[in-house]
Amino acid sequence: MKSTKIDLKMQGLWFLLLLLLLPVRSLWAQADLTGEWSPRIYNDGRDVGDYTGIPLNEAGRLRAESWHPEQFDLPENICRPHAFDIGLRVAPAQLYISTELDPATQQVVDYHFHAYWSDFRVWMDGRPHPPEYAAHKFSGFSTGKWEGSTLVFTTDHLKEGFITRVGVPLSEKATVTTRVTRYGTYLTMVFMINDPAYLTEPYIRESSWVYDPQQIIPAFPCEPSPEGTIIPAGSVPSYLPGKNDILTDFAKEYGIPPEAALGGAETAHPDYLKKMKTMKTLPRTTTKHFERQG
Amino acid sequence: MKMDSRIALARGGPILIFVAALAPVFAVHLHAQGFGDQGRGVVQNPATRAPRAAAPKDLTGYWESIVTEYWRYRMVVPDKSDYVITPLNAEGRKVADAWDPAKDKAEGNECKAYGAAAIMQVPGRVHIYWQDDTTLRIDTDSGTQTRLLHFGGSAPQGEAPTWQGFSVASWEGFRPDSVRAGGGGPIRDAAVGGAAGAVGRGPREVGGEVPGYLKVVSTHMRPGYLRKNGVPYGANATVEEYFDRFTDPYSNETWLVVTTVVTDPQYLLEPSITHAHFKKIPDGSGWDPTPCRADEAR
Repeated sequence: MKSTKIDLKMQGLWFLLLLLLLPVRSLWAQADLTGEWSPRIYNDGRDVGDYTGIPLNEAGRLRAESWHPEQFDLPENICRPHAFDIGLRVAPAQLYISTELDPATQQVVDYHFHAYWSDFRVWMDGRPHPPEYAAHKFSGFSTGKWEGSTLVFTTDHLKEGFITRVGVPLSEKATVTTRVTRYGTYLTMVFMINDPAYLTEPYIRESSWVYDPQQIIPAFPCEPSPEGTIIPAGSVPSYLPGKNDILTDFAKEYGIPPEAALGGAETAHPDYLKKMKTMKTLPRTTTKHFERQG
Repeated sequence: MKMDSRIALARGGPILIFVAALAPVFAVHLHAQGFGDQGRGVVQNPATRAPRAAAPKDLTGYWESIVTEYWRYRMVVPDKSDYVITPLNAEGRKVADAWDPAKDKAEGNECKAYGAAAIMQVPGRVHIYWQDDTTLRIDTDSGTQTRLLHFGGSAPQGEAPTWQGFSVASWEGFRPDSVRAGGGGPIRDAAVGGAAGAVGRGPREVGGEVPGYLKVVSTHMRPGYLRKNGVPYGANATVEEYFDRFTDPYSNETWLVVTTVVTDPQYLLEPSITHAHFKKIPDGSGWDPTPCRADEAR
């Protein structure tokens, strides 16, 4: 009898110790990011030939200028996913975030980001990034950690993709650092894109979502099919250097100097406004360009 | 019974000592995690630490806006009726369609696009500094505006609204969601002003960073423009802003990111969310003050 009582007390002490140790898991999570998030950035708002504010280098600009909008109509591109970051920005980027816990330690193994166009995991368990020769994917490979109240994750091993939906390229050498912060019922992500192949300096942009527990993310029932495309088999629409006849449409429609429309790091600075005043613009073709966007 | 206690003490004593030694550590941990003190607080005590001293992040200094997105709406004056992406209602579109910069200029309303709802979007430089221990001040060179972010207080009654309105600031995000166990519920903001935590102890660093950000809510504003081309917000609009800073490990540059949420029952179908980011610059040597201008980007 005595022995049983003593054992019970011992068990109680161990249980108390266990209770104190259990919350260690939550050290990993400084804010709750999980749940359904409704997007509030509807697209990247650019037309063909709009590279404004993007720190493109010459190689990036050449690739962008050779891009043809009909490339999206190639059968093999119809269901091609976007790289993870732009995939989170393309409408409708409804987002669901969940975690996977280690059953033994109850620590967060990964954050799973699922959107209509994008799906990837951010590994939180300290695993290393794979070697350079490992497969590159549109979702890349991401590892994260908490910095203050922000989840910071770094993504590499990306497949070649796009920074914008109008052909500004993203190379397989790119690294994207994403900072996810929850501000009450808002979720903001800051993307910092480093691409030594096509950018002269990091490119920064943001997106936000609103907490929406009633949201239902539809499936993405896309199947590669030649039906409905207008591109003849075997051809890849593109422009040779200097032959892109729609490149200056953006500058003409918006009354922007064509030189500014070509982008570059300088164009993002306020002082560029003074320089723009010295540049020539082309005769405007419309002031109602926005009407075609609905 | 005495024997039982002695045996228990002898066998459980080391455990008790171990638990007792760890208790303060876990107490901090539990507190910081939001366990056991819902509705109270963070690890700050407003009675002993003024907002300036309690700042989890230093937002002060000179910052230059870097316009990498929506350039065509920010670096040029957009065309009339170009309110793409802004959730205007029918009345808002009607007002935007009637935009007349010459009229604004003639009526002395050239600062309409430089109010609290839009000023962080205007390309330029900002200087952030503490005016006193409870007031963070933002000066802008574009439009030569001044914003006062008051830690505490409320919009003055009976006074005329201003372009910048009355801004109430608070440090938020020191603690995690207290309903985390439920998975995904809204985080209740925990301001320093509501804290009653351990005296004199600063917030605990996580990953080398102190948790927290600045939340600013502005009201009592004169009606103005969300964009230079007359996209309106009304007198009852509320501007909610979140200021956060970080250093990019690749470039070693420091950035300030401002997320702005404008709620306006008069002209918006739903809250409008925009972002602006600023790069830290060493000093004010590039400071270029300009007046409010209705027909220029800044």
